[in-house]
Amino acid sequence: MHRYRASLAVVLVAGLAGCAAKPPYPEDALRLEESTLEVRAVQTRKIEAPSEATILAAMIAVLQDMEFHIDRIEKPLGLISASKISDADDQGEQRFLYFLDILCSAGGGYGCGYRGTAKDTQKIVLTMVALPSYSGSSEYSVRITMHRNILDKEGRVKLMERITAPEIYQIAFDNLRKAMFIEVSES
Amino acid sequence: MTRLFSLLLLVIAVAGCATSTPVDISANSTQLQTRQIQTRQYETLDKAMTMRSVIATLQDLGFTIDQADAELGTITATRHHQYAMRMTVTVVKRDEKRVSVRASARIGENAVKDAATYQDFFVALDKAMFLTAQRVD
Repeated sequence: MHRYRASLAVVLVAGLAGCAAKPPYPEDALRLEESTLEVRAVQTRKIEAPSEATILAAMIAVLQDMEFHIDRIEKPLGLISASKISDADDQGEQRFLYFLDILCSAGGGYGCGYRGTAKDTQKIVLTMVALPSYSGSSEYSVRITMHRNILDKEGRVKLMERITAPEIYQIAFDNLRKAMFIEVSES
Repeated sequence: MTRLFSLLLLVIAVAGCATSTPVDISANSTQLQTRQIQTRQYETLDKAMTMRSVIATLQDLGFTIDQADAELGTITATRHHQYAMRMTVTVVKRDEKRVSVRASARIGENAVKDAATYQDFFVALDKAMFLTAQRVD
């Protein structure tokens, strides 16, 4: 009987402890990571421009070149938000499903169309900010940040991730420099 | 009889955790408490540069900016990494010397309420504000 009461007390304490308030999210949700400086370096380039309007025009042009939709522009802050929805299937998966389709057709099967099953979409969301130099030079510090959501056919989120690959940012900055060159030579 | 009483106690303990789903329009903690946790004052004259520092901080924390309004001083941002986190930051000029920054965050369906998480945000913002004040590119 004594043991029974003791175990009941344990159950009650555990039950009440379950109600104790612990934040239902990670404690370090807004803590800077140690890799912040490296990530910032990957996402930032100094670009020479005659004016803030010129660099913003080049930023808009390059986003159009990369088939992004401009969602918001806040000129006084040098900020552009853009997004793009595209096919998320990787080519390896496409090839594999194509192979399955061929096998299926060769076997005289009905209801082939495996490639159709892989049709995930991805939404890439991008922020581009141009910050004038504090030293008063004509250099602007341009920073791009991107993330993407991959959705399946039913619109369910399969993956949410920050895009951190340096080569992706390098492509964007190479395109921006070209757009800047065109913008300056046309003006 | 003892068992019946024990069972009743258990049911009460478990039922204590259960909640109904009211229309959740007002916050649970007091307005003043929430504001204190979410707000910091900075000695600066420049609201626009404060906003740029907030944007840089949000980018450092992995957010993309949904929208910003320089006139109203609002910035909304989202981070999609393992979970969806949304932040609204408002920058208001208080007087000739001070700018007030208020941040509020939600992770999924939960409002972020603990002071430590906001403290982490303001530690990051302090660094950005310091670099801005020192005019470091």
